Amino acid sequence: MDEALQLALSKIGKVETHPGILRIYRYDFLVIPKQLSRFVKTPLCIVQPRSDEEVLKILEISERYEIPVIPRGSGTSGYGGCVPLVNCIILDMKNFNKFSFQDGTAVVEAGAVWMDVERSANRLGKALRVYPTSATVSTVGGWIAQGGYGIGSLKYGSVGENVEWLEVADFEGIKQIKGDKLKYYIGAFGTTGIILRACIKLRNSESIRSLAFECTFDEAIERIRGAYHANFKDRYHMKFEKLGERDTLLVSYEGEGESSELGKNLWSRRFSPLKALATDKIYSEVVLPIDQAARFYNEVKELACGIEVIFARDRAIFLGLFGRGFRSYLQALKFVKIAEKCGGNVYSTGLLFPYKNKLKRELEEYKRNIDPKNLLNPKKAMQENVFSRVMKTGEKLLWIV
Amino acid sequence: MDSLISSECIKCGLCNVCPVFRAEKLESASPRGKLILLNEIKKGAAKLDTRIVKEIYKCSVCGICSIVCPANLDLVSFWERVREDLVKEKIAPLPLHRKIRDITYREFNPYGGDQLKRSEWLDFDVGKSKTLYFAGCTASFKTKNIAKSTVNALRKLGVEFTVLGSQEFCCGSPFIRTGQKDLAKMLFKKNVKVWQKEGIEEVITSCPGCYKTIKNDYPKFAEEFRIDFNFEVKHVSTVFAELMNVEGKIDFAATYHDPCHLGRHMGIYEEPREVIRRAGIKLIEMERNRKFALCCGAGGGLRTQFKEIAVAIAEERVREALETGTNVIITSCPFCEYNLSRVGGSRVRVLDLSEIAERTISP
Repeated sequence: MDEALQLALSKIGKVETHPGILRIYRYDFLVIPKQLSRFVKTPLCIVQPRSDEEVLKILEISERYEIPVIPRGSGTSGYGGCVPLVNCIILDMKNFNKFSFQDGTAVVEAGAVWMDVERSANRLGKALRVYPTSATVSTVGGWIAQGGYGIGSLKYGSVGENVEWLEVADFEGIKQIKGDKLKYYIGAFGTTGIILRACIKLRNSESIRSLAFECTFDEAIERIRGAYHANFKDRYHMKFEKLGERDTLLVSYEGEGESSELGKNLWSRRFSPLKALATDKIYSEVVLPIDQAARFYNEVKELACGIEVIFARDRAIFLGLFGRGFRSYLQALKFVKIAEKCGGNVYSTGLLFPYKNKLKRELEEYKRNIDPKNLLNPKKAMQENVFSRVMKTGEKLLWIV
Repeated sequence: MDSLISSECIKCGLCNVCPVFRAEKLESASPRGKLILLNEIKKGAAKLDTRIVKEIYKCSVCGICSIVCPANLDLVSFWERVREDLVKEKIAPLPLHRKIRDITYREFNPYGGDQLKRSEWLDFDVGKSKTLYFAGCTASFKTKNIAKSTVNALRKLGVEFTVLGSQEFCCGSPFIRTGQKDLAKMLFKKNVKVWQKEGIEEVITSCPGCYKTIKNDYPKFAEEFRIDFNFEVKHVSTVFAELMNVEGKIDFAATYHDPCHLGRHMGIYEEPREVIRRAGIKLIEMERNRKFALCCGAGGGLRTQFKEIAVAIAEERVREALETGTNVIITSCPFCEYNLSRVGGSRVRVLDLSEIAERTISP
């Protein structure tokens, strides 16, 4: 790393430059094929800021030296959102982990872990409306930056629908973002600004009762009304998780009442989202309008080797499991293509699918104004890169599968 | 170096619940980060230097990573194997781990306690018996109250036992956990030789570290050295649960801290709770309990080499205990008691299960 840059950064937070440790930060949960790993860069350093001022200082240095900045939470997303494709500074937000509660909301710093917020909220008789299945480790800023659905999305919608405002840092300073403008930040992977804190809507903490039963997918759609959370696993998915071999629906409701044994078991496993993935599978995630979910399911049920569905208000999020290897990668892509045909889209963009971002043009224009030198997490969310070009090429080969 | 498991990691990051990572916040301290590092070293993309070795040792070997791992990787034995390899390659142990090794070579315990005074806590005579109470180093030298309460409770429960005093040697657990297996094997031989000479058939331990070592590691050593190993090994919590058929009248509320070596590693969760309930204590569980319990921070050589991390983890556990509304923590491990009571100070009262058993039997 350039000496002047090192000197400038040395006055900020905790800076890590050990070459071995830096290599860890080349990864998140994304499976990077060997052939593409040479395009992944090792960051110049990891900086863990402790205050707004330190984040602004890092952005100032980034601008002065024209070194891109990649924000990072827990690195648990499978979209490569914090995988560096350029020489960069990793802005690790772990020290931004404080939060407070007021008027039925939580004001949470980006590096706070969802479960820590939930535990504290519970003590005050409140609870998060939605949280990711990786809540035990993933950060508030990370999930917002990726966007998406999770536990509670059936009643309360996506994470974005539960954010009142965001505080973000960019080269002009710190801004509070509200209303329609939130769409430029939620799911944008930090390409338009560094999320510092979020105001998140809460619900009253109520006990959750869960029922689970054998059910076809068509029936499942009919049986989720009025629930807080619902999740369908086909027989193959259940088998991978060693939970039996039947298509099963879990439906969870807010409020007192009896849970079934299987319901309790499946609810308690909500934080073990990847048990079916083990080591020999990849997954593909898509979002469908609920009225197209049955059609999509029937088209892909033979393609994937296991399917899980999380229901959201008017959406269904499908997670398809596939083997490893070229043919399986193509099948995973075909899963996305079929979803598009049914009016759906990929679950998120990150490094893999910037070309599928429905706000691509709008976001590009917004970013140009805010980040003219393209220093905020470049080549992600709406900007093409070598990975996305490979995905595009793969789409041309889908006739093979 | 053993790298098979490191290439099987799917990098999901769910193991970031690791208490050391939560305290340190840098990925090199997380299980995933360590696995990536080991893989990068294997590929020749990173070098194994003293900093990396230090990062690898930032782990209490508590095993929560294995519990949450969707790929079901057996990480506890993996970390121990990696450390063993580092010692074989002579880039470990770390300075303070080496120091306890040197002390144990001289004194047969890592605290430097006078071996001749090992059973100084014992205030009644014990005769010969086929059952041995193996107090372990921490209860012998640091938390003597535990050894004392245990023997008092065992005696009142009608268990005939012996104590070997200066003929009891460290079980070797700290050295297996820190990769110094050669010393552990030497201690194994010394202990087993005495046990055979004394006609011991059953070993009861206070310390879950000793329990795991004698029950799981000693038979492997015995096989390696072709030594007969026909000892029944029990943790004292199971003995209490089996024999303590009284209805106690201890009238306070307490929470129970699951020691990692007893719970996650050996599957003993319910017996200590049963003893607590029979004592009449109102048991209030901490949010993270049984297989998801938070480590106290002391094990795996962490407190020895990285005291500040061990203290930060214990601080979080003490906070979690206090959130239950009680300030009494019961545990069943001398080392957990040692760490939690020192960090908790006057905010909490940390008791060992043996103290509860003793009070229940003779109020």
